[in-house]
Amino acid sequence: MSILTLDGVSKRFGATEIIRGVSLEIEAGENHAIIGPNGAGKSTLFHLISGRYTLSSGSINFKGEPIHNLAPYEIARRGLARSFQVTNIFPRLSVFENIRCALLWSEGYRYSFWKLLGKQQSLNAKARDMLEQIGLADKADLPSGELAYAQQRALELGVAVASGAELIMLDEPVAGMSHSEAENAVALIRRITAGKTLVMVEHDMNIVFDIADRISVLVYGEIIASDKPENIRGNKQVQEAYLGEVITDDNA
Amino acid sequence: MKKHLLLWAAFAATLIILPSIFDSVLGISILNQMTIWIIFALSYNMLLGQGGMLSFGHAVYFGLGGFMSVHALNLIADEIFVFSITLIPLIGGAVGLLAAIFIGSFSTRKAGTVFAMISLGIGELIVASSLIFVDFFGGEAGVSGDRTYGPPFFGVEFLQDSEVYYLGAFWLFVATLLMYLFTQTPAGRMANAVRDNPERAEFIGYSTRRVRFISFCAAGLFAGVAGGLFAINYEFITEENLNALTSGRVLLMAYIGGLGFFIGPIIGAIILTLMNSLLSNYTELWMLYLGIMFLFTVIFLPRGFAGFIMMHRLAWQNGRLKLLALPYCLTAIPAAAFVTALVGLIELSHAGDEGLHFFGIALSSNSIVSWLLLFALAAASAFGVKLTRARLATAWQAANGASN
Repeated sequence: MSILTLDGVSKRFGATEIIRGVSLEIEAGENHAIIGPNGAGKSTLFHLISGRYTLSSGSINFKGEPIHNLAPYEIARRGLARSFQVTNIFPRLSVFENIRCALLWSEGYRYSFWKLLGKQQSLNAKARDMLEQIGLADKADLPSGELAYAQQRALELGVAVASGAELIMLDEPVAGMSHSEAENAVALIRRITAGKTLVMVEHDMNIVFDIADRISVLVYGEIIASDKPENIRGNKQVQEAYLGEVITDDNA
Repeated sequence: MKKHLLLWAAFAATLIILPSIFDSVLGISILNQMTIWIIFALSYNMLLGQGGMLSFGHAVYFGLGGFMSVHALNLIADEIFVFSITLIPLIGGAVGLLAAIFIGSFSTRKAGTVFAMISLGIGELIVASSLIFVDFFGGEAGVSGDRTYGPPFFGVEFLQDSEVYYLGAFWLFVATLLMYLFTQTPAGRMANAVRDNPERAEFIGYSTRRVRFISFCAAGLFAGVAGGLFAINYEFITEENLNALTSGRVLLMAYIGGLGFFIGPIIGAIILTLMNSLLSNYTELWMLYLGIMFLFTVIFLPRGFAGFIMMHRLAWQNGRLKLLALPYCLTAIPAAAFVTALVGLIELSHAGDEGLHFFGIALSSNSIVSWLLLFALAAASAFGVKLTRARLATAWQAANGASN
């Protein structure tokens, strides 16, 4: 059963059409990677799904309901969370507060100004638990802006996942990391997104083929293939457009 | 938790004993002003420090609350509504809240420049209205009332300033406690999150507009409470209390005290009230000194006086604060001399033919010797600061370095 359906999604900026009629089905529970050369429109597609940009035409359905006219916060409340390519956290809040804020809405606190956070034991336990999972428990009280880069990326991931969303979209989660940091990050992604639907944009093909159940290839705003990793590898059109060298090098 | 209770108990105790220490007429009058300005400055910080909303028109809520409170005093005096004047701050708060609900409904869509410009525009609009709706605002003369009517509160009729002080102190305590507790709630914490990163706040399920709106309303409410206390204390209010001057003053208080800390605006309100009340007795140029202090704060202490104090936390935790004591004193002496010389120069250029008595020395603006004396002192002390600064820097490094 598909949890997210894109149907003829287009996005124009002025005369330039960045996304040109993308149709895509994401199955519940799968790990789906979106790959493509620079400038193909991967991040734009993410922004369209998460509500940061509005569509020029087409429709997006999440759990059977249209979400393409909703504000980002309304989409997030329905259980679709995302991370960002450039680390996007609350820099002056402590690491713990970052996670706790991400939990607030799904835990039903809404805009409460009569409940004291310090007394919400189940909420605080959940926040601490998430800190353990992302390996930042010992940094809980540090302002998050002072974390090292890889730690900020882990926090970014934690903020996205903490909301209890069913579908998690990660935009280049390991970009800019060293090899060992990336390995840790991949292990972390596997661990904390287990049982959830994952849609990710990533450039590192080792990681893509390692994590993804299915891969969609986006070239110049169009999906040219959407299939299992082994079929994508063998797909002539994909190799020509984008992958050829990378894949053969990797498998040499 | 226990530590917190102790802190609040100490705060209450301080409020209770202060008038016994500063028991002069001037002392009580200054304390009364402080209760008003501290609440007002704390409410302003809900916007700027905690919510990231730079307002140039926060006096609107203070002033509207104050005007309505004076009218309420008159209604009590005319026996149209009869209730104890101890509840007047609630009237002010309600009016501040209503005004904030109305204005916040469209001004909190965006933070940043848009919000700042709308706040400025609303401020000007209300000031213009005050000269049009003379019945409510009393035109340029303002409106006045009398706090001594109405039923006495357990025998207290608020004839004395000290009685007014305890009323103000009570509301100060309640308002401060509530504003602090607000920072510990989901709405208060999300205000910080929206300040830090509005985009991300939307992606974790929060409407930034709604989060800002809630902080904005709370800030309006407490500004109105401060306005109500103003009405009780001064028994009159004019257009000046809701114009840009008052809005600017509360911004200065919060900034000089330190936006990033709950206690910052309290410190700022105390400093500015003292300057306003005491310094103005000595020099008519006190506003100039206030401006210089503000510049100094913005440039050298961007996190305000509270930030300056908090800078020493690491050294204190390391147990090395004493390393700083002597270097601080060595720098402070020439620095104080420099400030003195600067003040002397400013005052001398303002003194005219009467001359200036400065620390027991008669100076004359016509005498070249007077000028040279002050210039020499300024130059020598500036050199002194330069000499001792290196030692202070070294001591700072030693006090804050990694502990062995």
